Amino acid sequence: MNIEAYLRKDYITNLIKEGKRLDNRKLDEYRKIEIQKGYVGEKASGSAFVKLGDTKVLAGISMNVGTPYPDSPASGIMTVNTEFRPMASPHFETGPPGEKAVELARVVDRGIRESGSIDTGKLFIEDGKVWIVFIDIHMIDDGGNLMDAAGIAAISALLDTKLPKYEDNQVIRGEFVGKLPMTGTPVPCTSVKVGDTMLSDPATDEEYAMDSRLTVTTTTADMMNAMQKGGKGSFTDENVMQAVDLSFKHGKEIRKLVEK
Amino acid sequence: MELIKDGKRLDGRGFNELRDIKIEVGVLNRAIGSAYVEWGRNKVMAAVYGPREMHPKFLRDPTKAVLRCIYNMAPFSVEDRKRPGPDRRSVEISKISSEALSHVVMLERYPNSAIDVYVEILQADAGTRCVGLTAASVALADAGIPMKDMVASCASGKVNGEIVLDLMKEEDNYGDCDLPLAVIPRRKEVVLLQMDGKLTQDEFKKAYEVAIDGSMQVYEIQKNALLKSVNEVKIGE
Amino acid sequence: MLHIKDRDLVIPGQLIGENVRHDMNCFREGDNVYSSIHGMVRADENMVKVIPSTGEYIPKEGDLIIGVVAEVMMSWWLVDINSPYMCSMRGEEMTREPLNNDLNKYFKTGDTISAKVSRVDEVNSCQLSRPWKLEDGLTINVNPKRIPRVVGRKKSMLNIIKEKTGSKIVVGQNGWIWIKGNKTELAIEKIKKVEREAQTQGLTDRITEMLEKRNR
Repeated sequence: MNIEAYLRKDYITNLIKEGKRLDNRKLDEYRKIEIQKGYVGEKASGSAFVKLGDTKVLAGISMNVGTPYPDSPASGIMTVNTEFRPMASPHFETGPPGEKAVELARVVDRGIRESGSIDTGKLFIEDGKVWIVFIDIHMIDDGGNLMDAAGIAAISALLDTKLPKYEDNQVIRGEFVGKLPMTGTPVPCTSVKVGDTMLSDPATDEEYAMDSRLTVTTTTADMMNAMQKGGKGSFTDENVMQAVDLSFKHGKEIRKLVEK
Repeated sequence: MELIKDGKRLDGRGFNELRDIKIEVGVLNRAIGSAYVEWGRNKVMAAVYGPREMHPKFLRDPTKAVLRCIYNMAPFSVEDRKRPGPDRRSVEISKISSEALSHVVMLERYPNSAIDVYVEILQADAGTRCVGLTAASVALADAGIPMKDMVASCASGKVNGEIVLDLMKEEDNYGDCDLPLAVIPRRKEVVLLQMDGKLTQDEFKKAYEVAIDGSMQVYEIQKNALLKSVNEVKIGE
Repeated sequence: MLHIKDRDLVIPGQLIGENVRHDMNCFREGDNVYSSIHGMVRADENMVKVIPSTGEYIPKEGDLIIGVVAEVMMSWWLVDINSPYMCSMRGEEMTREPLNNDLNKYFKTGDTISAKVSRVDEVNSCQLSRPWKLEDGLTINVNPKRIPRVVGRKKSMLNIIKEKTGSKIVVGQNGWIWIKGNKTELAIEKIKKVEREAQTQGLTDRITEMLEKRNR
């Protein structure tokens, strides 16, 4: 049982019922987003450190050569892995990824994969050899809404990624032939329902009070690629449509920041 | 791949038509409640144990029971053998299914206890998470566990540019989008919603409505199966 | 207003009626009364309730139960009562000075007892009182929600089975039934039949008839 949640849930719920938030944001307002690409640029092929209010997330990209999947022999491969490092929250533990970490990784994965943002066709090297894009996301400080922070970090890091040189069956580390071929910028945006009220970008305390959560990943002004409902509450049709609208709206703003 | 021909789908269904669904209630002896669902070529079994003592103890909640739904695919449920044990996909489906069911079950009646729901996919042919959730909800009812409502689930998707209900395997593999959804029928609210693929906002609205309608049809099938199950008690030596 | 007749079957969340007085296994939202379980509606005048056909035993004050001593502590016993919740029983039930007496003298681990549920707290932990050791015999499992049928109205069913099979039978509300006698198998057979056909009518007559035929 989470004691912090127990202590604050009722207060936060009542505050939000009045249309107010603890940090004085409007219901549909995001916290300040800072993106620092190339944060660990000396070794990793690409990286980005993202601050979403108090939430801090670092994504790193590793490029390796491997064998393609038999059903798509001419395409590169991508995988997303997340680590809820124990440093990020008193509620995180060491050990294999828990269900929250798995869910988050899969939602970020779906957004990138389904939008086709990584041009995997261009990651073919030769028969039986393709590039593998490893996207590893480290949660550093959990201030709420890790889902969006992780998604923003992943796509920012991908846009920062350089393609290493490959010669004589070897990856030449430190030498690059160009950028990782990218065609789109998927951005996940999360709305949560507290009581009967929908709000964007929940902070930790708001996550304690939330009943349910809806993340929508948009890639252009009129294309969505992934959705995920979480939490034990329910949504009305109106809630769902509002969350979709908000995600398109915020997605547009955040995409500008990411692509800068 | 051509998945729609002359306004009909590969298996002859119309756009808003469900596959054949058969639900049996109380199919297992040891479990408190159970259900077996055949849905197209999907074969899924669900069993409920509990409320029972929660182990490990630190997971106990003194304010309510904890519902744990475990979704598992049998290795032989798909053509290429699935490696046994939990993978990332099944962990995710278990999580969102547990959350959806927790919304309806009156957990506060049973503090400190656990309600375990086991969903086994015996044969998979697209839409297994919806089939599993539908079966789980029937098994919970069969277990006599108090609930505010049932959970009924169905997916919609986009195939060859058309929004269709309840994707079959080929449509799932070669279609443009999959949108699994679950509703609590009484209030028509959504307790599970996922999407992957490509949809515009307008297409989403349509797909969403189609999936809700489909789920309501699934609810009627659940209801009939449950009401029939008690009548079937035979009088005899 | 009722939307459902007496003895109709309902599923969780199904509307039973508006502005009706309701008893167990129903819940109210606004004017509407819904069933919270899968079971059979019993309605008279203006009161409805839903009878479940299955479910785990949740302790209730005043219930007579059958338990098995799970552990002997310094001044109390831990008793397994076939429920998500363990029961405790204070040493004072048997001796004035439990701390100066070895409680094993009275009940050991593994002993079968019958007892009353004397207290249930808000998290369903409970206490037992007036224990009675059940020696020899056999304890069988019956679905706890079907126990009322095994007992019958004014104990009619239980008395018939006891009488016609010449058995001692103690029925625990928690689904455990203790039987001792020469025709234990016959008693079990009939109890299991009652459990299976709990939701049918005319059961007492059928059981009586069968037992009489057997005794002839």
